[in-house]
Amino acid sequence: MTMVSRLWCRKARQNLAFAKVLGKEPKTFSTLVQLKTDEATDNNNDSQAQTNDELIKSPSLGNYRLVYPEFLPDPNPLYRNSIREKLERMDMLNRRSVLSIPEFYVGSILAVTYSDPHAVGKINKFVGICILREGCGLRSSFLLRNVVNGEGVEVRYDLYDPAIQNIDCLRLEKRLDDELLYLRDAPLEYSTFPFDMEIEAKISESVPVNDIKIPLNPLPWSQRWERLNLKGVKEIVVNERRQKKAAALAKPWEKYDLMKTYRETIPEEEQNEIFSDVYTKLNELEIQKNILKRKYMLQRQNSSKTRTS
Amino acid sequence: MQVFNRFKSTCITLVNDFKWFYTLVPMNDDFSISYLLISNEWLTRYLNDFSLIKPLIDKGQIVKVYVLRQTYNQAKEKRNLLFEEEKKRQRTAVGRIEKIEVKYQSPVEEVTLIMNKCISTPMDCAKHISEGVSKVSAIAMVDGSPWDMNRPLSSNCELKLLNLLSPENKVVNTAFWRTCSFILGAVVDTAFKEDVTVHLHSFPVPVIKSGSFIYDVYLDLDDWKPTDQEMRALSAQYVKLINKELPIERIEISERLALDMFQDNPIKMTQIPDIAKIGDYIDISKGPMVGNSSLIGRCTIAAVHKIPEKESLYRFQGVALPKGIILNQYAYGLLENRARKFNNTTWSVFSEENNEVEDVKVFGRN
Amino acid sequence: MNQAKIEKLVSRLRYNVGSKPRKLKNVDGPEGRLRKIKKTLTAVIKYERIELNYARADETRGYVERLISEALRHGPEHGETMELANFWIKEKQLVHKLFKVLVPRYQNYTTSFTKLHNAPCIYPGYAYKRAILELKGNIYPTVEQSNPHQHNLLHNILLDAARKEYRMEKYKEIAANMNF
Repeated sequence: MTMVSRLWCRKARQNLAFAKVLGKEPKTFSTLVQLKTDEATDNNNDSQAQTNDELIKSPSLGNYRLVYPEFLPDPNPLYRNSIREKLERMDMLNRRSVLSIPEFYVGSILAVTYSDPHAVGKINKFVGICILREGCGLRSSFLLRNVVNGEGVEVRYDLYDPAIQNIDCLRLEKRLDDELLYLRDAPLEYSTFPFDMEIEAKISESVPVNDIKIPLNPLPWSQRWERLNLKGVKEIVVNERRQKKAAALAKPWEKYDLMKTYRETIPEEEQNEIFSDVYTKLNELEIQKNILKRKYMLQRQNSSKTRTS
Repeated sequence: MQVFNRFKSTCITLVNDFKWFYTLVPMNDDFSISYLLISNEWLTRYLNDFSLIKPLIDKGQIVKVYVLRQTYNQAKEKRNLLFEEEKKRQRTAVGRIEKIEVKYQSPVEEVTLIMNKCISTPMDCAKHISEGVSKVSAIAMVDGSPWDMNRPLSSNCELKLLNLLSPENKVVNTAFWRTCSFILGAVVDTAFKEDVTVHLHSFPVPVIKSGSFIYDVYLDLDDWKPTDQEMRALSAQYVKLINKELPIERIEISERLALDMFQDNPIKMTQIPDIAKIGDYIDISKGPMVGNSSLIGRCTIAAVHKIPEKESLYRFQGVALPKGIILNQYAYGLLENRARKFNNTTWSVFSEENNEVEDVKVFGRN
Repeated sequence: MNQAKIEKLVSRLRYNVGSKPRKLKNVDGPEGRLRKIKKTLTAVIKYERIELNYARADETRGYVERLISEALRHGPEHGETMELANFWIKEKQLVHKLFKVLVPRYQNYTTSFTKLHNAPCIYPGYAYKRAILELKGNIYPTVEQSNPHQHNLLHNILLDAARKEYRMEKYKEIAANMNF
């Protein structure tokens, strides 16, 4: 998968100049739309942001579980091993002290610079929307999606891959769903992002939620999306048979299954233990990151001022 | 002194009482070996007053004092024979069989059993009640006083069976501790090779809080310090004996018969109360014991100490738990370590003078 | 290796949670399983001590513990918790009991809220293992039977004596070190 996508990326890089010449209308279409909705949702979701803020404040160690989900181990007791987990955490911190990994969520737009011996200049930059975060510990990874040459491209990166040279979060936002895999069956414009996108300034303290509803392509699909109870999709139209089947397979009781939720998560006490273990180091790294970010923003402002003057 | 004089002249003297005799083996300058056969009386005097022999040992005239194995075994056989005879006599003395009513109070209900007078034992009652009860019962309480499991009941009574896993009365524990000492004697008696003279001395009053059960033994070994392996071998012997699941019988006999039984053992002659028997081992006991050796679970013979101020008197110490009590290794290790320390708590109780007093008391009770 | 779900924060349960849920065989599948547990859970909250098959008791135990811990965590004002309570407890007055009786009772507990005992299988018995599930702090006499002669057990006497001796030695040591 990565190999194929690398090839795609190389092509993309070669064609980048071509795309720029063509003009920005088709490429920036989706982002423009999103920008508008962004502002709108920011106003609409003030209340939601507030609740988010409360959520962030209430737990003792802040919102670490949301920002650093990969520090929490797999809840399945079969895979638990406290020593391995601790060692992995140390390795992760070491990697983070070398490479600054930004805060990002499913729905954020990332730019990843990856060392590639076959590429021109031996580096390869890919920009895309994060549609999936999975795995924990050193094996945690994320999936980026973009459209290159009218073709959807997905690249899976390991978060702690030593070949990654830089990760930038170009736009920090969340979507309504935990996974955006349905973008594969949505019109391409919804997963198209320009490769020369720049880092957007942070507007609010909390992470904005983009509640855009995406229409899906007509059938056939890669998955039966009607069964998944997706929030970020405009009304799904399927035939009656499939509707019935979906209704039959629905599990409305699952949200009441207390032990299921318990077995799928790490209890708060344990989370606190884990994060108090890494708290000091993470905090230091975060302060450094903020300083760098502010510097970068200042530089950009100065350069834009000079340009306008 | 008479004997010593004879001995010095290395002549052989046959003493009248020829049944059980000991041999003193002096070694002459010319390495010819001479024997002295003496009666029990004299040996008793020797061993009770070791200072009589000591100068001879110092001079190298006596190398070893030992019991000929043959005679020893004969003594044992004779003792067993006497025991069986006495038992038979006591059984026949009952005469016509009469019935008695035994009221057994179980935790659930009260049972009345019709048993044979002077024949049925609490063990027989337990067997009537259930196999489980007969297996775990350690001691019986007959009208509120402790009674051996294998001792016949003599009249109408109220019976209560005590076990070691819920000891309502501390008598059970004391009896258990006494039994442990008793069996230790049986083990030590057979554990040594023929050329080592073993005279069982006694086992003092059981004191559980002292941390170990003990048995005092005369060994003609100078400054014997047993190795770990030897201790382990002794413990193994102990376990082997326990695993035979032998019932422990106890009968009361007259002083005369007792003297007859322990004729070969100069020390036992002086301390004769009741007689108890396990397997082919017979010893003197001063109180009730548990019914069967299978009630002993985990056990260790922890140490052998030479008793200071007494020549060749060794104290064997051990620790044991009833079967069914499961203790973790660490806690049991603590108990073992404690049992290895010299147990001197009962020493003052068991001096020569007290011994007799003790005996008298027991006689008075029985 | 999967990522832990992070959207909901839960309190740790203070008993050994089994790694896999039991299926609790029934015709309706997972839904029927919850229905069965719902029945038992309501009974546990109502009667505070019940005897039932071990598997079902062990399975229900987790749900009871979780429901009480959620109630402790969020209180009756929290909509989601109220919804949970309404779903799990079939009798409405027991919802009040959960928030007004059980929550204050377990406010300062540092142990689990329930207790699971193995129950005897009385001859001829039934194929399944039995158990007793109870809420802690109930009004009934205790299920456990302790040996009233515990202090008379031989090993306890021996250990007591050993402890005393050890202490005496320590005291002697201290006294010896106190030389001025």
